[in-house]
Amino acid sequence: MTGRRGGRPLVPAYLSTGGVARPSRAHLERLSVLTGSGEPAPADLPAAQAALLEELEHGSLTVVEAAALLRLPVSAVLVLAADLIDRDLVLARPPIPPARRFDPDLLKRVADGLRDLKHR
Amino acid sequence: MIELPDLVVGGLAVGTLSAFALGGGLLRSRRQLAAQRAKTAALRAQLDGTTRAFTAEVEHLAARRVPAAARQVAHPHVAVPGPLGPQLAGSPLGLALEQVLKGLQAELAAQRTRIDAAAQAGMRGATREIQAALYRLQDALRGLQQRYDDPELAQTLFELDHENEQSLRRAQIAAVVCGAWVGLAREESHLVDAVTGGQARLAGYQRVRVHNHLEAGTALVSHAVEPVAIIVAELLDNALRHSAPDTDVVVNLEAVRHGVCVTVDDAGLGMTQDERARAQRMVAGSEPILLTELGDPPRMGLAAIGQLTRQFDLSVDLSSPSPYGGVRAVLRVDSHLLTRVDPAALPPAASAPRSTRRAERAVPPLADGAARASEPAPATASDGSEPATASRKPEPPSTTADDHGYGTDQDDHASAPAPGHHGPRDSGGLPQRRRRSRATPPTDAPAPAPAPQRRPRRPEESAAALGALQSGTAAARCAARPNTGAVPAVSDDAPATTTADGATDDTGRGRNDHEGGTAR
Repeated sequence: MTGRRGGRPLVPAYLSTGGVARPSRAHLERLSVLTGSGEPAPADLPAAQAALLEELEHGSLTVVEAAALLRLPVSAVLVLAADLIDRDLVLARPPIPPARRFDPDLLKRVADGLRDLKHR
Repeated sequence: MIELPDLVVGGLAVGTLSAFALGGGLLRSRRQLAAQRAKTAALRAQLDGTTRAFTAEVEHLAARRVPAAARQVAHPHVAVPGPLGPQLAGSPLGLALEQVLKGLQAELAAQRTRIDAAAQAGMRGATREIQAALYRLQDALRGLQQRYDDPELAQTLFELDHENEQSLRRAQIAAVVCGAWVGLAREESHLVDAVTGGQARLAGYQRVRVHNHLEAGTALVSHAVEPVAIIVAELLDNALRHSAPDTDVVVNLEAVRHGVCVTVDDAGLGMTQDERARAQRMVAGSEPILLTELGDPPRMGLAAIGQLTRQFDLSVDLSSPSPYGGVRAVLRVDSHLLTRVDPAALPPAASAPRSTRRAERAVPPLADGAARASEPAPATASDGSEPATASRKPEPPSTTADDHGYGTDQDDHASAPAPGHHGPRDSGGLPQRRRRSRATPPTDAPAPAPAPQRRPRRPEESAAALGALQSGTAAARCAARPNTGAVPAVSDDAPATTTADGATDDTGRGRNDHEGGTAR
């Protein structure tokens, strides 16, 4: 999945979005999860948007995964995804935040409190 | 005494006679001399006339005929005037003067070719360097595009990439016109990729509509990829340039009997008969190209197409007007330049339009692969609006395509895994991430089939459901408040926290426990 077997790609990335790199929605991130909404795609969908939608048919993907599968830069996929979201063809969820470590200080205070209760 | 006078008389008589004779001779010779003088004068006059005529003829040659003959080398329509004296036409002098013109023209033509060849060599060297530098720039820009996704930066990178593509096209065209190689070796590629790639090299590419009516997987052999991209780019450039900015340029990719045709139609002004004939002559590539003939600034597009059609055995036709009113250009790629690339293993670029033929092609795999089709047939048919569901389905489409394909990769498909299996295809021994397939449930269990058809819940719906739950529990607590005094402490902060709080107080304790746990 590293692109072409060799050589440079024939089709530059800007063609996928018609030269636009500013997504219509700002909240999309690299790890936002995209899911197809199941709505039937209109026939006049631009090719790259249709290709993204087709990837999402097989299940949800993060933006970076979709970018890797489509061999496009993330910036282009953000634009495509935002357009599809605007047309209600794709749903996006914010990225799942990484699990945070519990604050050991807090844990210690809870344990102290419990012990205190027990001894009372 | 008598003898003496006789003698004298005799002598006198002889003397007189001889005097007469001499006088007659003298007279005659004098007359002859006069006649000759007159003749000489006449001849001299004639000679003067001839010399004057000859001088005038040579002056005419220098002033009129030589420049015209020299111009005729470059512009064949220029007529060389004839000699001044019409009687000279067949004479040795006339022929000699003709020889002068012929020799001059031959030498001029040779010089012209030599000078042009030198100019072309110089330009070739320069453009090769420029082209290489622009490819390096392209690499750098694409690396940056991959690395940074800040919208503002990405926008700039996209614009720079586009500018770079246009410069690259100019340099490449100039190099090709000057007889250089196209400058880039490519892998076998989908034909639609080559066309879309050519489209991307132009300003105003957004006006181009590509309709792909080819079998998925129709590809070009490696050495034809770049020429086809260049030719398509030049044809599209002409079309975009000569049509109004609010009209579309339509490209159709169609299979024909002996190959594939790329048809470019514009809705512009069109060409006159003469222009069309000239363009057709240029793209046919039958005449050698001279830079000096391309105008100033040189119009290289058609000349480059001519070079490429000759070198790569392609053919371009500009002879018919377009039904849209403009020009119709048809590039024909013969089947010996075509091959097949498995669209499942190496899909075309995301921006390349998918084939419109997938609807027909989805039918055969359903016939033999009905067991694996977990979704109903109409659903697949309605997929017609979403590209290449058929082309991405693994093997059956490509085997059916072989029936009328170009048959160079037959053994490739024979070694491919059985239909319906997402087995590891040849990827150079590297692990490959497979797409998750929705159609994976075991074929003997039809029950789970409806499950994937459930629509994913939208975020707003989820929020509405949870909100309803929350307001329900809040209402219940309000109702319960008069009875118990301990509850209000909890219900006060319930609206501020997630519904997991309310739910733990309510009946859904076990169900939502884990949510509350992760939320903390």
